[in-house]
Amino acid sequence: MNYYITTDEKLRELVRTLAEQKWNIISADKQGTRFMYINDGKDLTVDAKARPTKVSAKQFVFPKSEPLFFFKKEHDDLKLIDPQAVQQKTVLFGAKPCDAAGLPIMEKLFNWDYKDEFFNKRVENTVVIGMACDYTDEYCFCTSVGLAPDSEKGSDVFLVPGADNHYVVKEVTPKGAAFIAEFKAIFSEAAQGDIKAVSRTQPAPEKKFNVDEVKNWLDGHFESEYWSKAGETCLGCAQCAFVCPVCHCFDIVDENCAADCGRRVKNWDACQFGLFTKHASGHNPRETQPDRYRQRVSHKFKYYQDKFGETLCTGCGRCSRNCAVGIDIAEIVANIPM
Amino acid sequence: MENIYKPELVEIIDIIDETPDIKTFKLQFRNQDIQNEFNFLAGQFAEYSVFGEGECTFCIASSPTRRDYLECSFKGAGKVTNAMRRLKKGDVMGLRGPYGNNFPVDSMKGKNVVFIAGGIGLAPVRCVIWNVLDLKEQFKDITIIYGARTVADLVYKRELEEWKNMPGVKTVVTVDPGGETPDWKGEVGFVPTIVEKTAPVAENTVAVICGPPIMIKYTMPVLTKLGFTDENVITTLENRMKCGLGKCGRCNVGNTYVCKDGPVFTYEQLKQLPEEY
Repeated sequence: MNYYITTDEKLRELVRTLAEQKWNIISADKQGTRFMYINDGKDLTVDAKARPTKVSAKQFVFPKSEPLFFFKKEHDDLKLIDPQAVQQKTVLFGAKPCDAAGLPIMEKLFNWDYKDEFFNKRVENTVVIGMACDYTDEYCFCTSVGLAPDSEKGSDVFLVPGADNHYVVKEVTPKGAAFIAEFKAIFSEAAQGDIKAVSRTQPAPEKKFNVDEVKNWLDGHFESEYWSKAGETCLGCAQCAFVCPVCHCFDIVDENCAADCGRRVKNWDACQFGLFTKHASGHNPRETQPDRYRQRVSHKFKYYQDKFGETLCTGCGRCSRNCAVGIDIAEIVANIPM
Repeated sequence: MENIYKPELVEIIDIIDETPDIKTFKLQFRNQDIQNEFNFLAGQFAEYSVFGEGECTFCIASSPTRRDYLECSFKGAGKVTNAMRRLKKGDVMGLRGPYGNNFPVDSMKGKNVVFIAGGIGLAPVRCVIWNVLDLKEQFKDITIIYGARTVADLVYKRELEEWKNMPGVKTVVTVDPGGETPDWKGEVGFVPTIVEKTAPVAENTVAVICGPPIMIKYTMPVLTKLGFTDENVITTLENRMKCGLGKCGRCNVGNTYVCKDGPVFTYEQLKQLPEEY
């Protein structure tokens, strides 16, 4: 693996160059609320000490609402028009390990058997510049789901903060290497050890549970008293799914723009909504909120593991940090009566 | 870019009013090449769309042995199905599919087959019935037990008559108590009772069952009593779906994607799933 060095100022210069070359440039906003498109080096936020943004970066590969095709009625005929293929090269700056890891996790779902090229094209066109994290609060639990503040999973290029506004830059994937080669004025070559990474100022999140033990318990406890307790306060608002870097359930609906044209879109949806599974007959396999909360926990820590060999969680803590009634998924999982 | 969500255009070539609220559409692809190449197996489903209203999921109700068209039967229940009710012959719809697994018709060959259906649950079963009847010499005795709430709610009435008159096919049609008309000549009683009364032989027999959850719940013990083993009872789960492609997460029952791993399951497989369907 090759190592390089860069600085805050150089990264801002990179943003200016990328903007001139019409790249899509994504960075967290200054308030730490969300990732957004920027066009100016001064708007770049690469901050290892920042709290994970309120909303994850997943919308750039799996948008909240994405047109699948357009339809137009002409006389007696009907035309279906594909949306323009996503071609624009994109760079995502400053993804924390708990954000970057979401991409390869979701990639499995979008590619088993049928391939969702909407997702794939976006991932293919995106260079993820991940960044070691130096933030921990009571909601963080990346270390409980096999990640860590310095995990490179999902990153193409990985930044580790060093002394004096320097970064140690690692090329993680061939795509990352190509990116560094393309912008070699920004990244000076270095040998490992040329520059010391700054040690974290925050302790890594403590390990709150063991995913294997949790999975073992879930394997045998679809029916358990624990679920009525775990899900009893949930309001079913599904903010947890919307801020999550890996929740990927969606709805497909039609939107009309006029009597004779419209589009079909894929919209984020969530298993916490009562309507999610409700049949036309009125029958609902998941009738109550605790049923739906059980689904959320089981999908993350058992079903996805069964099906795709991954935990459907990066331990970012967003769902818990933002929950209106204070449900903390790590606490729920850690308190399973094993 | 390959777009797995984009349907093909189909034209409604015929509409049959089955009951006051159930219709059958006979559909043909606009593009004749697609019609010629379209292959499916009994039990597979498709996503049907009315542009501007949305998509919904039903099984393909016609048999794969009949290749010139596709049929689906539906009840006006929600936004899309009610929009479908307003469509006329010659109108254009969208269709994606076929999706999911299928009934093991090949391994049913050389055996007796008992079909048990309730209400619109006859639609997915009808696909296998015609598949089996079109290749009848390869199967042993066929029994069809079908029930609906009232005489007016029976679907495929013309075909029920046709099946009744076929040699080697025993067709028993029933309506719920109170649902009979003065001139009703069929059975009166709930499906489980009529299955018990008809008492099909379990030996060398496969049972295909589809209907409301309550019907299946009370018919299963009857089948067990008659000697049917769980692996010889096959059903199809009609979960709510959106994508049909194993992505949208809606039809999951535990770690199973009904749209990919199903919709056809043996009762033995069904018992392995969490009770959430």
